[in-house]
Amino acid sequence: MAGWGFIAPALILLGLFMIYPIIWSLWMSFQVGKGMNLSFGGLANIERLTKDPVFLRALGNTFTFFIVQVPIMIVLALLFAVALNDSTLRFRGLFRTAIFLPCVTSLIAYSTVFKSMFAGDGVVNQTLMALHLINTPISWFGDPFWAKVVIILAITWRWTGYNMIFYLAALQNIDRSIYEAARIDGVPAWARFRYLTIPMLKPVILFTTVISTIGTLQLFDEVYNFTAGSGGPSDSTVTLSLYIYNLTFKFMPSFGYSATVSWVIVVLVGILSLIQFLVARDRRSA
Amino acid sequence: MNRIFSRRGRMLGLALASISFLTVAAATAGDVTVWVWDPNFNGAAMKEAATRYAAINPDANIIVDDSASQDDIRAKLQTQLLAGSTDGLPDIVLIQDDIAQKYLQSFPGSFEPLSDSIDMSAFAPYKVAAATFDGKSYSVPFDSGVSGLFYRSDYLEQAGFTAEDLNDITWDRLVEIGTEVKAKTGHLLLDLDMNDPGLIQMMMQSAGQWYFNADGSLNIIDNAPLKKALETFAKFYEADLVKPVSGWAEYTGAFTSGEVAAVAVGVWITGTIKANADQSGLWGIASTPRLDIEGSVNASNLGGSSWYVLASSDNKEEAIDFLKTIWASDVDFYQKILVGQGAVGSLLAAREGEAYKATDEFFGGAPVWQNFSDWLAEIPSVDYGVFTAEVRSAITAQLPAILDGGDIDAALQAINDQAQQQMQ
Repeated sequence: MAGWGFIAPALILLGLFMIYPIIWSLWMSFQVGKGMNLSFGGLANIERLTKDPVFLRALGNTFTFFIVQVPIMIVLALLFAVALNDSTLRFRGLFRTAIFLPCVTSLIAYSTVFKSMFAGDGVVNQTLMALHLINTPISWFGDPFWAKVVIILAITWRWTGYNMIFYLAALQNIDRSIYEAARIDGVPAWARFRYLTIPMLKPVILFTTVISTIGTLQLFDEVYNFTAGSGGPSDSTVTLSLYIYNLTFKFMPSFGYSATVSWVIVVLVGILSLIQFLVARDRRSA
Repeated sequence: MNRIFSRRGRMLGLALASISFLTVAAATAGDVTVWVWDPNFNGAAMKEAATRYAAINPDANIIVDDSASQDDIRAKLQTQLLAGSTDGLPDIVLIQDDIAQKYLQSFPGSFEPLSDSIDMSAFAPYKVAAATFDGKSYSVPFDSGVSGLFYRSDYLEQAGFTAEDLNDITWDRLVEIGTEVKAKTGHLLLDLDMNDPGLIQMMMQSAGQWYFNADGSLNIIDNAPLKKALETFAKFYEADLVKPVSGWAEYTGAFTSGEVAAVAVGVWITGTIKANADQSGLWGIASTPRLDIEGSVNASNLGGSSWYVLASSDNKEEAIDFLKTIWASDVDFYQKILVGQGAVGSLLAAREGEAYKATDEFFGGAPVWQNFSDWLAEIPSVDYGVFTAEVRSAITAQLPAILDGGDIDAALQAINDQAQQQMQ
């Protein structure tokens, strides 16, 4: 009984602020109507999803971000981690801090800095023009393709260091004698990375991939700040989270439908994580 | 164990007590809180009103909160009304006209009808119409979004144009003028943000149309002014006269820095333009160009907002009395905010005041306020409906295709379909 007494406050709070809202939002996702005039609509919201061009664009964009950005970031983080794990490298601490620092920066601050860097007459365009790589300034946020590129750059910049820290921690746990043995056997550096480091880091790679997947599917802040909440140009950067926000706070409030879109994210996270687990397990048994 | 428990209980109690204390403190009787979003414009005007009211009513305490952006105010308002938790809401809130009906219709009973206590015939009719629902008017109309064409007279002069050449023209003529200006001075004509279809709305309203029919159904596919507005919008890009910008800072930066030659926008931009005192005398103002279509006039509207009293307010009577005494009666007050903030109010009697007859050296000595109040009277009244945000979003989704020379009818169909989908 004493044990329950200790954890009761936490359980009550968890139930009140987590379990109850989750169940309630599931119930909400079957409601239709505007504002507070909600009524049970059965599967109407799910049917609406399939016909909603903005939802389909948001889904497509979210997947584009996920498919392009997560692999780039994971590979970069892995390379940085291996490079910065080299005990002969000088100023390792400085480099590690520099690469990790972005993910403790305030979201708003870094979004604002990125937005001004990629403005029409911002430092990026000026640099590219000075280097004669482009003749006319690129309208980064006026072009559907470049707007996506900037967002991918921004989230990569912010989260690569975060993933690198996991890899560094894992690398330090690998017994050095394994590498020494490989080196004595004449295994080249690339093969050591490919056949020793990556397999040994597999659980950590799986972990970072799953959390990056979850993070990307919930992408909101960068898009909201870069595009002033519009997801523009032409809905080219609208994500599922931004669409949920717009459905609730910008458009005629449609709570039921936005709850349905939220559950789409939940289901996607579940499916993608499961796939990643299965892929990792297959390799292990092979 | 018991001690820990009771300590926790005490702390929880203390926390709850301080929360309820804060809530009480925020709503002391007699204080009237007001939410505004622009410290230099509506915030400054409201503070001036508060000062005037305090001179008549020394007990009154009007608290003007200008810390949030308009988007934040909309989000806060919508969230709290949805949650049914009105403790944190102010007594008076500023709402932009084209979004007002959404609040009035989706949160019935949340706003106090004002037409019983204030004479609405004293205000410009289109402003009153924007806040009328079920036969009652819910706002004290504030600033007009009466639009005009602000241009750099020095650039136009270099290209051989006078003020006369710009008055009462069509948008098509402006494209010709802009082409000439670009050839002779190197300056682009306009800057446009592709995420903001404001200019398209302004063009459409000049012909008396909006996105919706009187019954609230969508008016997109057969909306001739909207189609013409989209075509005209594309012409600026075809003629290569547009600097693309993203966001408000870039938008205002392009014309206040002298990069582009003109901006067609609501009168409330005057303060922003005049903030650059060194450009005095270099600017001119012309009437809004009209669409090359039957029924379009050289007057339109962009933005504009009004004061609403929340029904949940504990100080409704004070709030209404304040609005009535200053905003619905004080003609001198309107002269002051016209000169100070460039705020063209929509109280009709204010147009007879002295300041409205003044000329402005910044705009080459033109009788700008007289002009704006003349145009104000000609603005075609439209019903903004409740789904403007949805249609705006549908239009911005199609703009890149239209500007690439895409078929406008196909785009209208796509806009219609997307908006239809979101209006469920």
